[in-house]
Amino acid sequence: MIDSLYIAWRYVRFNKIKTATLIACITLIAFLPLALQLLLDESERQLMSRAVSTPLLVGAKGSALDLVMNTLYFDDEVPESIAMMDADRVEESGLAFPIPVYARFRARDYRIVGTTLDYFDFRGLEIAAGRPLAIVGDAVLGAAVADRLGLKPGDALISSPENLFDLAGVYPLKMNVVGVLKKSHTSDDLAVFVDIKTAWIIEGLGHGHQDLIKSQDASVILKRTEKNVTANAKLRIYTEISKLNLDSFHFHGDDSKYRVTAVIALPNDTKSGTILRGRYISDGATNQILKPADVIDGLLQNIFRIKNVIDGVIFLVGIATVLAIVLVFALSLRLRQREIQTIFKLGCSRMTIAKLMGAEIFIIIVSSVVLCALMIAVVNHFSNDLVRMAFIR
Amino acid sequence: MSPDFQNLNSRLKTKDYRLFLAVLCLILAVTNAPSTAEGAQHEKPTVAVANYPLKYFAERIGGDRIKVVFPIPLDVDPAFWVPEPEGVLTFQAADLILLNGATYSKWLNKVSLPRRKLVNTSQSFKDQYIEIKGSATHTHGPEGAHAHAGLAFTTWIDFQQAIQQAEAIRDVLARLIPEQKNDFEANFSALKDDLLTLDRRAKEIVTNERAQPLITSHPVYDYFARRYGLNIKTVLWEPDEMPSNEQWVELISILRNHPARWMIWEGEPSPDSVDKLKSMEVESLVFDPCVNVPDQGDFLTVMKQNVKNLRSAFR
Repeated sequence: MIDSLYIAWRYVRFNKIKTATLIACITLIAFLPLALQLLLDESERQLMSRAVSTPLLVGAKGSALDLVMNTLYFDDEVPESIAMMDADRVEESGLAFPIPVYARFRARDYRIVGTTLDYFDFRGLEIAAGRPLAIVGDAVLGAAVADRLGLKPGDALISSPENLFDLAGVYPLKMNVVGVLKKSHTSDDLAVFVDIKTAWIIEGLGHGHQDLIKSQDASVILKRTEKNVTANAKLRIYTEISKLNLDSFHFHGDDSKYRVTAVIALPNDTKSGTILRGRYISDGATNQILKPADVIDGLLQNIFRIKNVIDGVIFLVGIATVLAIVLVFALSLRLRQREIQTIFKLGCSRMTIAKLMGAEIFIIIVSSVVLCALMIAVVNHFSNDLVRMAFIR
Repeated sequence: MSPDFQNLNSRLKTKDYRLFLAVLCLILAVTNAPSTAEGAQHEKPTVAVANYPLKYFAERIGGDRIKVVFPIPLDVDPAFWVPEPEGVLTFQAADLILLNGATYSKWLNKVSLPRRKLVNTSQSFKDQYIEIKGSATHTHGPEGAHAHAGLAFTTWIDFQQAIQQAEAIRDVLARLIPEQKNDFEANFSALKDDLLTLDRRAKEIVTNERAQPLITSHPVYDYFARRYGLNIKTVLWEPDEMPSNEQWVELISILRNHPARWMIWEGEPSPDSVDKLKSMEVESLVFDPCVNVPDQGDFLTVMKQNVKNLRSAFR
């Protein structure tokens, strides 16, 4: 048997291109469905684990998928916003604890997530370097953001304008990076976390500027009365929150009407969750409450429906490939007719010739299996990141 | 004694067996000792407070069952503290954060604190907050004119409201350490008695002269005036600064329609201010809201002195 394997090995080495093509065909046909299954399993795990760990989500009526994807995975589609008072209502109900999330703005290519410190406890996020959020203007980076942007505590990160052509819009805010989170292998790695009030400052609802009451610069003041000072556009608005100007930062209007994209509701128990959900079932309700697990489950059903189609296609391509391989071997045998006759004349039995052919096929299949296993191992190693790049982002 | 037992006894006396027993005892001692984590569980819960009255109430009610921390420096008005990250982190590390409510802590919208730990001690009477009107406004950009006005926040100098704030602290401590509920209840009752006594005395003092006009040096007496039916007008003077000419003119203008004979100060006024007021037949008395830790005594002694000081105006 060893002799047959040795002769077969010499043969496949001599016919490198033919062997490589056969190995590539067999490898790909085995690799594609396995890798797809692996990635789908990983995406299901990632999507579901985060969805299942988020009991209830309150948001504006509209696309449930957009709401869940934006709040849980910081997706590009920003849902309609709701008021902060909706978070307060959840708390006042005594049925659940609210964690507001305002995932609307971006810094470079990463989502700025405005929330409260409770979010970090809820998700079990820990600080790897630096300190937690403490003062408005502070930012804590997800591990991947810090890694990719090369940022560390003490550096700064500027929020990106929503619209390049909005020249009269809000000034970008230079945020102080105060901490970096430990890698969590979730979407939190790809987020820039700020206090919800910092997100409102980025929105322009809060700001700091030079003291108008004390200012003697006549070129800034349009009108001054006993009760009111009117400034012009020359007024210096601070674009960075520092110890020196922190006191000048203030908010305008009723903060209960400030916007958030969603509220994560953590019910006291199952019964409380059910009662809370019941309160949002009415025709006039402008908000919706949903279980992220149900929404993601629906999404996965669609993904698996698509996967079944892909499986069917791969199956047909697989059959065609196998037939092609059989044909290649059959033609190869015919082309090697003289070679086989020579071996026969040398005194080898038909059995030996069959062994030689079998050994060649064996080497090709084993090589394909090894290569496929290696490729699957690589995909498995990077499946977490691949899934987030391909499916979740 | 059986031969076997004698044999065992003699063996116990050997060096090896003594060593064996010593190691066994050591192992038992180590395995029975509380772990660091278990030890940490027995640490007192930490309660962070936003002003001195809340510190006093928490310490009176919680006693030695809790550790009360007040991260704001002693020389700062806790309402207008400019937050430092270190102080904010101390608040964050606490198990509970007691807030005064009524927008008392102006720094609250500049810091990150866990919502779950926040307790608004004046929540039970939030529908009775007093709104301060007429503060200066300014205009810039597209938002239009806006004012930085808010609510009156010195809630605790209405001693009935102080009792309600203390009640909120008792309730939240009882939820934090349920096994100490009875102790907290007993401590609260003692505090309530003290506050009721202050309330009764203040009422007795002002009963006959409620309508008499008074001037207050700072807009911090709104709840006190409402509770005890005082007739006050407020200026914006600092006790340690001599008022400007405009401020004196403003006072004279107020006195024309509001002929007050007493001005209530939140701190010891400068002798110059006192003398000038005297020349206008306006006497001075101190009613210290006690927002930060007093140099001498405690909240109760300061409030007792405040009530005593009131007597001179209501004789």
